[in-house]
Amino acid sequence: MNLKNNREVFLSVAADSVFLPLVTSFVENGAVALGLGRAEAMSLTLATEEIFSYLCRIASPDEMVEIRCSGGGYYVRAVFLFSVEDFNMRAFNLTTTVSVDDEASLEEMGLLIASRTVERFQVLIERGKGVQLTLIKEKKYPSSDEETVPKARPLKEFSIQEPNPEEMKLLALLVGSHYQDLITPEFFEYPGKFVDMLESGECRAALALAPDGHLGGGIVWRWTGLKTVECFGPYLFNQDPDSSIPESLLENCLGAIAKTHAVGLINRYPTDDLPKEHFEPLGSLTIFNKDGSTASLTAYFRQMQEDPGTAVWSHPELEGFLQGEFSRLVLPREIRLVKDLGETKTRFSVLSTEFDRSRNVVTLRPIRPGMDAGTNLANHLTLLSRESLRSVFFEMDLAEPWHTEFTPALLKHGFTPRIVLPYAGKSDIVIFQLGEVAE
Amino acid sequence: MNAPPLNKLVPEHIKCFEPYIPSKPDNELIKLYGCSHLFRLNNNENPLGPPEEARGVIDRFPAARASIYPSGDAYHLRHKLAERSGLDPEQFLVGNGANEVIGFVIKAFCQEGDNIITADKTFAVYEWVAEFSGFEARLVPLVDFGFDDEEMLDRIDEKTKIVFICNPNNPTGSYWDEERLRGFLRNIAGRQIVVVDEAYCEFVEKEDYPDGIGLIREYPNLVVFRTFSKMYALAGLRIGYLAGDRDVVDIIRRTCVVYSVNGLAQEAALAALNNQEHINRTREMVREGKEFVAKELDILGLPFVHDQGNFMMIRLPMSDSLAYRKLMTQGVMVRTMTGFRFPNYIRLTISSMEAMEAFVEALTRIVPKGEKP
Ligand SMILES: Cc1ncc(COP(=O)(O)O)c(C=O)c1O
Repeated sequence: MNLKNNREVFLSVAADSVFLPLVTSFVENGAVALGLGRAEAMSLTLATEEIFSYLCRIASPDEMVEIRCSGGGYYVRAVFLFSVEDFNMRAFNLTTTVSVDDEASLEEMGLLIASRTVERFQVLIERGKGVQLTLIKEKKYPSSDEETVPKARPLKEFSIQEPNPEEMKLLALLVGSHYQDLITPEFFEYPGKFVDMLESGECRAALALAPDGHLGGGIVWRWTGLKTVECFGPYLFNQDPDSSIPESLLENCLGAIAKTHAVGLINRYPTDDLPKEHFEPLGSLTIFNKDGSTASLTAYFRQMQEDPGTAVWSHPELEGFLQGEFSRLVLPREIRLVKDLGETKTRFSVLSTEFDRSRNVVTLRPIRPGMDAGTNLANHLTLLSRESLRSVFFEMDLAEPWHTEFTPALLKHGFTPRIVLPYAGKSDIVIFQLGEVAE
Repeated sequence: MNAPPLNKLVPEHIKCFEPYIPSKPDNELIKLYGCSHLFRLNNNENPLGPPEEARGVIDRFPAARASIYPSGDAYHLRHKLAERSGLDPEQFLVGNGANEVIGFVIKAFCQEGDNIITADKTFAVYEWVAEFSGFEARLVPLVDFGFDDEEMLDRIDEKTKIVFICNPNNPTGSYWDEERLRGFLRNIAGRQIVVVDEAYCEFVEKEDYPDGIGLIREYPNLVVFRTFSKMYALAGLRIGYLAGDRDVVDIIRRTCVVYSVNGLAQEAALAALNNQEHINRTREMVREGKEFVAKELDILGLPFVHDQGNFMMIRLPMSDSLAYRKLMTQGVMVRTMTGFRFPNYIRLTISSMEAMEAFVEALTRIVPKGEKP
């Protein structure tokens, strides 16, 4: 991720509540200086207050917390970094220290409360390294004014170019008016936000423009995760059905990421104009419409590199699914089964949670195995069910044998393995989605 | 001990740079892909193996010699190259593969803020070395699969130090004839170093193909690369070289790593040079192989791009990375072209008839007839 215009401020304090006012004013003023409006800065400050208070409750007062605020164009990010002993990691389960049946103690859940006032919230725990809590608060943008959408016409001649800000707004408007909501990511609704995303390097775009500047189509791409790029489009506006614009747009995107560390390119919102021969159908994910109805959309994928093959770990209950997928996708994998041979396990498992409230998505990831994996997962689900988040995902990295221990609990609690993303983590990642496959 | 503060230690241009991950050893790939053998058609190697004389040198190499340092600057090989070309031995620099000499040239001429110019779709190492050394690589799109001389000239500015031309181009096989190369050099008028990479020159049978080394006298800013990896089939020993004007080479020598080329490679390379018969046999094999594959591709309805060199590019109606996996399960290893910015193309090394037949058979299985890209 190549964030241009990135500016960062940081503060290092002990996890002692005497510093709470200092911490909140640092984040509030920092956020305003980095471009948030007063109201949004206030939301970020509220979340900060919850998080810092929570850290003060669980850490000893001499432990240091580092807080970094940075601006990413369309958002401000506050990151809390500190080290944590292994035994204390449990505190970063969204659900720990309280009983989910107890309304009063639910209110104590600082992490969850913090997650509610920001667009994105992520708990990242690296064993032996520490915890990183990330809050992302976005700027507020007016939504697009559909009445001003100009007419598009077929282009006789075109070239592929990087857009300027006005062309980006136009692209957002045209996508909004030519494509169903289901396959348009939310950032097209806010052309201003889209411009800021591009300007900050968060995503990139290419346009098909006629010599007179008329816009015929476009494609947008961004990094999701460490090794995967996601593309949106190609979008076409009133072009001939056999136009070569989609191919040219996609090739531009592929050329731009060809020499990066991207191992895969995914398209989860395929348009009719997606040149399918560049991709493989990876599987389907359930997408939620604004009105709450669901649809199953095929996710398309292509590897960017030659697959060197690898060995992966699997729980016996996932083996069938993996075998099926590896054989369908012709992925060279040696499946190694993880067997429970009665060895002693740690008692408490840890899950990290990432909220993306603008997309209504929450993603769980295993941080540590434990005998309570099933209960822990169930508690998380109970809690999340109150948050009216539509999509719940669980990501399992097949490089880690202990990740697979969550398999029985996932299947029991209604998750379905949906997609194998080759090499998206340390190894392949299996994405589970809560619920059955939608029709 | 604390972990080193990598964030502070590592320069920005290295942070965003990706290491090149070479493919796994054949036996590992065979195991994972579940095939019984492997035709290596991905690296433009010569399946005929080294010429007879070089083979002899390798077979007879006494183990005891492994304890002795080789000539630090490939003395005998340079003299031999000089004798063959009429240049001076000091006009040659031998490296651990042509890949190594790319680094020498860039180090010798570029400093902060400088740039190099090459094509967007060519051998990737010029761009790689420039970028991981912190210099801008300006990539000029190919036109009709060939290097675009006019646009390259246009992109030159006062910070441009080197222009890299791959002649013939890997992977398209296109080449500049003598007139075009001379025209380009005249236009540059000695202001920049012009590198002409002739890794595949021994495969070219066209009359109008320029012998870069022969032009050095007239154009002292011209540097030519050659390798023993391709035609001479010594890729495993890692040896290649550059030739240039004496003053230019004296500068490049300052950045070059001495003793980087082992003694066996030096001797085998020297012995390989004399064998015209080996070159003829290889060319014959490439001609036959190309003809056969081209005919089969026409039947399959698959477009392809080829001209000079022991390789061709084929356009598939599916992702090249998927085709790679499917071909690998049948024991055929090709090069995917997404990394060369030719998505959905594969590059095939022209090899023995047995390998070409295996390739066509495997390809036929994965590409349904009539499905044109
Ligand atoms: C155009 C070109 N130049 C240089 C090289 C590098 O050759 P060597 O094996 O001598 O490093 C290659 C090898 O693939 C090549 O294709």
